[in-house]
Amino acid sequence: MDWEVTVQINNLTAGYGGQPVLYDIHLQVGEGRIVGLLGPNGSGKTTLMRCINSIIKPLQGEVQVRGQNVNKLDRMHIARLVSLVPQKTSAVFSYSCEDMIIMGMTPRLNLWSKPGRAAHARARQVCEEIGIADLLEHSFNQLSGGQQQLVLLARALLQNTPVMLLDEPTSHLDFSNQHRVLGLMLGMARSRGVTSIITLHDPNLALYYCDEVVILKEGRIIAGGQSRQVMNTSNLCQAFGENIEVDSTGKGLRVVVPRTIAVS
Amino acid sequence: MKKIWIALLVFAVISVIAALCLGRYPIHPGEVLCLLLAKLGLTNWLPGAVEEKSIVFWNIRFPRVILSFVVGAGISVAGCIFQALFRNPLAAPDILGVSAGACFGAALAMMVFPQFVLGIHGMAFGVGTFAVFLAFTLASRSPSQSAAVLVLAGIVVAALFQAGLSLLMYLANPYDQLARIVFWIMGSFQVASWDKVQVVVPVLVSCMLLVVAFGWRLNILSQEDEEALALGVDVKKWRVFYVIISTLLVASSVSAVGTISWLGLIIPHISRFLVGSEQRRLMAVSAILGGSLMLLMDTCARSLFESEIPISIVTSLIGAPFLAYLVLSRKGGGLGSDRPN
Repeated sequence: MDWEVTVQINNLTAGYGGQPVLYDIHLQVGEGRIVGLLGPNGSGKTTLMRCINSIIKPLQGEVQVRGQNVNKLDRMHIARLVSLVPQKTSAVFSYSCEDMIIMGMTPRLNLWSKPGRAAHARARQVCEEIGIADLLEHSFNQLSGGQQQLVLLARALLQNTPVMLLDEPTSHLDFSNQHRVLGLMLGMARSRGVTSIITLHDPNLALYYCDEVVILKEGRIIAGGQSRQVMNTSNLCQAFGENIEVDSTGKGLRVVVPRTIAVS
Repeated sequence: MKKIWIALLVFAVISVIAALCLGRYPIHPGEVLCLLLAKLGLTNWLPGAVEEKSIVFWNIRFPRVILSFVVGAGISVAGCIFQALFRNPLAAPDILGVSAGACFGAALAMMVFPQFVLGIHGMAFGVGTFAVFLAFTLASRSPSQSAAVLVLAGIVVAALFQAGLSLLMYLANPYDQLARIVFWIMGSFQVASWDKVQVVVPVLVSCMLLVVAFGWRLNILSQEDEEALALGVDVKKWRVFYVIISTLLVASSVSAVGTISWLGLIIPHISRFLVGSEQRRLMAVSAILGGSLMLLMDTCARSLFESEIPISIVTSLIGAPFLAYLVLSRKGGGLGSDRPN
């Protein structure tokens, strides 16, 4: 079957304690696309992700993943469709990285079983792909924030879902790892058709890696579409304030910079 | 890892032998062997002195050893479950008020129908589980469904039953009822019998086997709720399952032998230090270690002085300083860490 539209959001209004935070969201994401969610703090990016993963139920409207309304599916079924890379986790008990990563196998296990040798081999393979095989034996709690983010990414990759949600996956990563992770997502999108929805704070990363960008402000989409079209000075100023500009380098590369730097 | 398992099993065997041999009527390990072989029908010969001891051995000491090992194991496994479930290394098995409820129930039964021993155990079990049900009902009325709300509800319920218990102790006859209530609250395996073994052991063993079989999901539940949901685990449903099992473990133990302090808190920490945080491994190790240490502590409780000391005094005397040692020996690693840095 050809899944042209992987994620479809219709008329979504959602919030907490009956108070809406997102209003009337419409969004279609195609298979193998990378969508960046941009917007100032409190604009509703994380809430939108929680709705796609059915962590919170919509007050109105629906979210479909591969044609199925996620609110009508059980958790195990949702976890086979959508995986999540949280921005950080506060693990109280110190699991080894291997134990943490192998948790990604849970949606594939039946009630009684635990991950077997094949799962451990797969976990090792995923870690080699993203260059953290040397961390497997380490205690998760003793890693740096960036290394923890990579372990959480490996766990989501092991979950092997058609849709991945990444909540600010680059927030603790150094420059090189930021581009490594987003490059990896781009590779997954192109080679395996994995759809990624990523919240980002750096508009430049959205410009370089995202096929589409959705800009949110105060719970509403103020612009959405092809990243080249959406990422313009007008839209970004509307979202983040007047002090922002999309400029071009001598080599024709577009960059988003604060206006003070662009002028100088 | 293999070495740790072998060491644990050796430790368990030594604990069992020590518990079988030591006591007010010391029995030599050779005599213990004779008694066991005779029971299995492998020998008909028993030295005269051993024959005399066989009544003490089979009717008092052997059921006591079985009960204390299984109760120690059950409480330790319940401790692992509660610490993972509430993501709190300081959570003890009575965090939802089960022990306070059971003590209140037992004290009430001792005052209303003091001669009816089964009624005391039944009331302890019934009120203990009712206390947890009350905590759950209270927490379900809160708009927030987080584990912290359930813990708060447990604290409220425990405080209410504690107040009820204090009132009962105030009203109790100081010459007979009060002493009985106090001794029961502090716990003792003196009451061990084959009847109790037959009632309590099957419940505890089946609960432990069940949680170890489903243990993988406890790893996921020890992550944040949002992550657990994203990994396909229905947090609410599984939390109820684990609370029911651990309540059964604690209520059955407390109703049989009274309160046992500290064990459920410290054993998971020692086990985590030995084998890490993976819950299936952790619960299995905690069961063996908790059972063995319970045996040794009970052996101390009944052998050190002329009259038997309540078990909670021994567990507190050993448990509290040990927890202090654990806290002080962690250089940078939190209490939840599996190994010191």
